[in-house]
Amino acid sequence: MLDSLSSSLKDALKKIAGKTVVDRAAVEELVRSLQRALLQADVNVRLVMHLSQSIKKRALEEEPPKGMNVREHVLRIVYQELVGLMGNAGKTDLSRQTILMAGLQGSGKTTTTAKLARYFQRKGLKVGVICADTFRPGAYRQLATLCAKINVPIFGDPAEKDALLIVRDGIKRFAETEIVIIDTQGRHALEDELIKEIVDINEIAAPDHRWLVIDAALGQQAAEQARRFNEAIGIDGVLITKMDGTAKGGGALSAVSETKSGIVFIGDGETIDDLERFDPDSFISRLLGMGDLKALTERAEEAMADEEMDVNAMMRGKFTLRDMYRQLEAVNKMGPLKQVMSMLPLGGMQIPEDAYDVTSTKMDRYKVIMNSMTSAELDDPQIISGSRVHRISRGAGASPEDVRELLKYHRVMQRALKGMRGSKFSMQRMMKRFGKSQ
Amino acid sequence: MFEGLKSKLQNIQKTFGRSIEAAAVVEAPAAPAPIPGKKPDTFVSRVKNLVIERELIVSEKDINEPLAELEMALLENDVALDVSDAIIGYMKENLVGSHRKIGTSVDTVVAGALRGALLQVLGEGFDPLAYVRAHERPVKILITGVNGTGKTTSIVKMAHYFKINGFSVVLGAGDTFRAGAIEQIAEHARRLGIKVIQHQEGSDPAAVIYDTVEYAKAHNIDVVLADTAGRFHNRKNLMSQLDKIRRVMKPDLVVYVDEAVAGNDAVVRAKDFNDLVGTDAVMLTKADMDPRGGAAISIAHTIGKPILFLGTGQGYDDIVPFRPETIVDELVGVEG
Ligand SMILES: Nc1nc2c(ncn2[C@@H]2O[C@H](COP(=O)(O)OP(=O)(O)O)[C@@H](O)[C@H]2O)c(=O)[nH]1
Ligand SMILES: Nc1nc2c(ncn2[C@@H]2O[C@H](COP(=O)(O)OP(=O)(O)O)[C@@H](O)[C@H]2O)c(=O)[nH]1
Ligand SMILES: [Mg+2]
Ligand SMILES: [Mg+2]
Repeated sequence: MLDSLSSSLKDALKKIAGKTVVDRAAVEELVRSLQRALLQADVNVRLVMHLSQSIKKRALEEEPPKGMNVREHVLRIVYQELVGLMGNAGKTDLSRQTILMAGLQGSGKTTTTAKLARYFQRKGLKVGVICADTFRPGAYRQLATLCAKINVPIFGDPAEKDALLIVRDGIKRFAETEIVIIDTQGRHALEDELIKEIVDINEIAAPDHRWLVIDAALGQQAAEQARRFNEAIGIDGVLITKMDGTAKGGGALSAVSETKSGIVFIGDGETIDDLERFDPDSFISRLLGMGDLKALTERAEEAMADEEMDVNAMMRGKFTLRDMYRQLEAVNKMGPLKQVMSMLPLGGMQIPEDAYDVTSTKMDRYKVIMNSMTSAELDDPQIISGSRVHRISRGAGASPEDVRELLKYHRVMQRALKGMRGSKFSMQRMMKRFGKSQ
Repeated sequence: MFEGLKSKLQNIQKTFGRSIEAAAVVEAPAAPAPIPGKKPDTFVSRVKNLVIERELIVSEKDINEPLAELEMALLENDVALDVSDAIIGYMKENLVGSHRKIGTSVDTVVAGALRGALLQVLGEGFDPLAYVRAHERPVKILITGVNGTGKTTSIVKMAHYFKINGFSVVLGAGDTFRAGAIEQIAEHARRLGIKVIQHQEGSDPAAVIYDTVEYAKAHNIDVVLADTAGRFHNRKNLMSQLDKIRRVMKPDLVVYVDEAVAGNDAVVRAKDFNDLVGTDAVMLTKADMDPRGGAAISIAHTIGKPILFLGTGQGYDDIVPFRPETIVDELVGVEG
């Protein structure tokens, strides 16, 4: 299913690549497959229709900027429109603040409260947590257990039924604490009494942030729910949970659009450390599906089996210069790099066209340069400072620009591979899915 | 539940009706010339045939627009893309090239096709009380599903439902993983006066569930309901743990729990759970959040298993047995 989807995207892209002028039929086909990808990712149906109209219009009406070919022009528009859909990244800083957590039942508020406590604690801040869920049995115990693991104090009372009372006392108790996070019970748009409860909590706590927790699997309801929460308390950030599953999180984009806010954090696991800042690029590549990763990894594995290249490690972002060296050596067997990379439908669009232009002479030069690097440098190119650049260039008989170009090329490749990752388990997931679809 | 989809579908039926009607006017075949030498009654019947029973053939072109509208309605109501494709395909198959007698109302034809499509997708119903009555005791039910969908709440509601219908029940606190999970189910059970077997947090879930079944056998309990920790279908080790639980418990029914508000992923995970540990029936929770109901259609279509109950709130009584015909009647309008 996912497979055929991304391959139709890929085909649509290929058709555009061959054109010298923007071709209506090709654009329409691209927009159609993009629509399907986004709908399948639970992006709001109206948002999708709106987005496709505007991509079509821009692709056909705007002149491609000088020096940009048709494919790049269309891809750039698609990318810009998708980024527009993401909103601005939700704001967070390390100043003193109170955060109010809101969301549907079971969306992951309590777990994310503990993850955030951990996040701010790691930044060296004093954190206190208030359990204002007086409804769900075991709610206090759940939060207390999680907080005990990280030594974060919790305020609450499992016997108390009045959440407002707890919030009032909790705010006093944590008057000297830098970061205060208030966990609340779940509620939904149609529960007027519960909506009123969070309006009251919001009034009493006067929080700096009111974050809406959205399950990555939430479907078309997301817009309606977010609208109601926003009306009630004014949402200024969205947190997506359960991104370690297979859901794409498109519902969160409806929430972003309704609340005119942005995505702040992503939760991708059940443990307290599974929290990441939002990254639009990897989110987009996940939204659209991972593309033809199967063909890529198969060919990569085939070509590199003898080179012992760890494709899985590469996907995790561990793509060292050493890996790149092997990759360059294997490139003949794999086919041109550009072809390999373009199997990822839109992962490719983040990559400047010239990154593909590794001619065989350039490849040879890169290999010579890498031969004059130390082991440590090959394993961790980050340590290559200005003086090292000069040493390497002298050793290789190349210019410092050549060395820097190589490093840049490596970064681009690393980013591209990382972009394919999407989440921790995607590799296994993709492998499994591909395995099945055969 | 289903309010949104219902009003949309009813509008679309009308659109279908109009398109086919319009097609009828344009494409009505010319009257066949009378054949000389036939008996008069044949002529009469031929006229009757012409006026009332003349057949029309519906072409794809006639229904493209309403089908596109139907697709939008399905998607907006959270029917997963693949499933919506299947329904559209079914509608096409049933309408295009179909011979419609001019005497029958177009609405009936469309309603028939839509009803057929939805009933096909929703499958057969499942009567849990009849099942328990007909089965050797204890009837063992295992609950599965991803994180936070409402498994624990649902198991407690089911226990309550069986209890007020005259069956004795025992709960197994099989979520030994999530913080506070044992306390959650134990507190619910205490409020309802239902026995729960529990071990320590972090202990082997298969062992608790085994003990629960043993308890039920020793005390002549009718129904065993075993809770499990939420897990994602893409976590191999957690799924094989669930499979181990299943092998130890040997459940009569595996009830997979998901929520009505889930979008396209509902299909992916329902399929994986069904493939990896098996599912016999589905409970769809949080139907009170969502007047759309597409997930019911998606899941039922994907794994072809009946939906047992809807969860419609956080109270113990917020559980409604699911009946496909009732839902389809609501969506399409009563047949006839
Ligand atoms: N796999 C995974 N599970 C999560 C994540 N966030 C929350 N959960 C689980 O989802 C369920 C509901 O979370 P909880 O915090 O209790 O939700 P709340 O009802 O909104 O407070 C629990 O089983 C959590 O362990 C996540 O990012 N990944
Ligand atoms: N509105 C509503 N909330 C529900 C329903 N079923 C469960 N919940 C809530 O969803 C949250 C997660 O439920 P829980 O049973 O703990 O989920 P589990 O992690 O799958 O066991 C809790 O806050 C429940 O009260 C339902 O049918 N409607
Ligand atoms: Mg909670
Ligand atoms: Mg549970």
